[in-house]
Amino acid sequence: MKSLLAPTLLTVVLLAGCSGSPSTDGPEPAATARPAAAVTEFPGLAAATGEPDVPSLAQVHPRPGQAIRAAGPFDDRFQINGLAFTDGRVSGAVRITSDVSTLLELQVVAGFYDADGKLLGTSRFEHHTDESAGDTHTGAPSESEPFSIAVPTEAAAKAVSAAVAVPILVNE
Amino acid sequence: MKRTLSTITSACAAGALVVSGLGSAMATPASAAPTAATTTRSVAGANNGQIRNVIYLLGDGMGRTHVTAGRERFYGSNGKMVMETMPAQGYVSTYAVEKKSGQPGQADFRPNYVTDSASAATAWSSGVKTYNAALGIDAKGTVVPTVMEMAKQAGYRTGNVSTAEITDATPAGQMSHALARGCQGPVYSDKSCQDTAVTGEKLPTSDVRVTPIAKQIARNGTADVILGGGLSRFDSADEQALKDQGYDVLGSPASQTVATGADLAAAQGDKVFALFNKGNLTVEKSKQDAPASTEAKEPTLAAMTQKSIQLLDSGAGKQGKGFYLQVEGALIDKRSHANDAAQTLEEIKAFDDAVAAALDFAKKDGHTLVIVTADHECAGFNIIEKGSFTNAEAANPPGNVDGSNTANNSTPTRPYSANTKDATRSSGIVNGAGAGDPHNFAPATFRTPDDAAGVKDGSPEASLWLSYLSGNHTGADVPVYAYGAGSEKMQGSVDNTDLFDIMTGALRVS
Repeated sequence: MKSLLAPTLLTVVLLAGCSGSPSTDGPEPAATARPAAAVTEFPGLAAATGEPDVPSLAQVHPRPGQAIRAAGPFDDRFQINGLAFTDGRVSGAVRITSDVSTLLELQVVAGFYDADGKLLGTSRFEHHTDESAGDTHTGAPSESEPFSIAVPTEAAAKAVSAAVAVPILVNE
Repeated sequence: MKRTLSTITSACAAGALVVSGLGSAMATPASAAPTAATTTRSVAGANNGQIRNVIYLLGDGMGRTHVTAGRERFYGSNGKMVMETMPAQGYVSTYAVEKKSGQPGQADFRPNYVTDSASAATAWSSGVKTYNAALGIDAKGTVVPTVMEMAKQAGYRTGNVSTAEITDATPAGQMSHALARGCQGPVYSDKSCQDTAVTGEKLPTSDVRVTPIAKQIARNGTADVILGGGLSRFDSADEQALKDQGYDVLGSPASQTVATGADLAAAQGDKVFALFNKGNLTVEKSKQDAPASTEAKEPTLAAMTQKSIQLLDSGAGKQGKGFYLQVEGALIDKRSHANDAAQTLEEIKAFDDAVAAALDFAKKDGHTLVIVTADHECAGFNIIEKGSFTNAEAANPPGNVDGSNTANNSTPTRPYSANTKDATRSSGIVNGAGAGDPHNFAPATFRTPDDAAGVKDGSPEASLWLSYLSGNHTGADVPVYAYGAGSEKMQGSVDNTDLFDIMTGALRVS
């Protein structure tokens, strides 16, 4: 995953009323006056620079034809069923084994490898539930989430295996 | 926003209520129901003086029927949960709003009748209605401060305790600001953190509203004492950030070593960060069923509450202004989503034990306001008549025809004869004869102290029959119980945003 590097300043912003503050159309910029106590900036924390990288994908070397798992922070919360690399895609189903009524967020990152087990590139699958749009009340409970991730074009000629990891998982 | 406090005010407070006397600390279930002795106490409770401390406890997903079921299961029909013995009692409306909605009374106000935990947490934490999934912002994306932030800034000691991941919506609602509750960390992604339906365009990733919640919690110092689950959300940089602020970090995010109950018992620092599970804490029934397991050594919610109070009330807290503590029994909701009545009941009892710990302290302290409520009801939990069946089990819904009185007939008209139990959908009591059938909609049954000896859980003879409407939240009002000066403001009906005013008023930080 990409590290959060650039230092910023802690700002305990000054009072601008609290619960009764009238709202404006659209969000306020983070630096504008804001109710007293809200902490909105953090020393030493860099802003993310993009989607998460998964370092463990560079540490595995699947053999040709293989599809394997690489380590992530939530490996004790799910299983992957039917994991396979076929026809230029890695596919399977993430079955969540921890408490689940709604799957809010899931990102599966796939690494693709050449015949020597060298990482060629990555691509990702994402599931996002918009609670406010009523997504949680449609369809079956999201205990099992199928995914299918194609080899990125630049790696298509050489990719012979894959590994997957899950850097983002939020369920309740 | 101009909110209207629909409370019964001091005139109501003047009326004395008869309440059951409380034993100290944990209540004992069933066979040792609360003492029959009663005392007369003003609705404000014993501490009519100035409030130094506020302890806010919520059972996530705990509706009125959850409390009743807990009472009947553990104390019988003539008993009370500890929370029910508190002198001020009322109801809280919990609705949310749609994205970009104005506040109640504004022209662009657009309500959503069923809230999630994030919107509800923002309501009492920041006093505004917001959309489901939002934390510490209003429905248009504007950052709003929380009670805990305001208390901290004013010099109070602060604590946040949950049986969920500490980045989950309820605890996060007091100590983060996020467009989406799913932006929990440890890493950022566009889909989990951004919401252009609210902001119009993507925010820079330096904006607090798209900063992963774990990153915020580890760096904003909002809570002095942080106890719960969710270690997987934090990493080595977070651990260092916590230590740099003076936290005693029990266990280790860097090595993903969970804290233990023994670690917590030994903790003495002014600032303590302890996560006891990589995810949510373990449900009580599982710990009871496997007492030798590692998970069974996690502290109970009551133990975390007692320790938090001790840490916050000692040292700097004792010499300072006092403290503000939020305690969440999160797994009531999570097990209600799953329609697991046995586990739900144990979580209700565990939460009530935490209430007892808080109330015991408040009675000794004399300057503490204790508020017990919920964020929303979950799953339409209900108590049905012994031997009866629900619509989910029926071949057809109840009849709606009365040939002799047309005033009793409406639309649709249905014959009474159609209301029979569907043997396919109701194949026996779900924690008994029907336990092996995953398609079964039958109720779960539980013995109570009112039952004869030998009556078993899961049997038709057990007197407490419990069923669920759905696997999701409902829009029902939730109960509120309170003790201490100012508790009369929760007598009657209030909105969840009113709780913000009540708490900030009690702490004099508004």
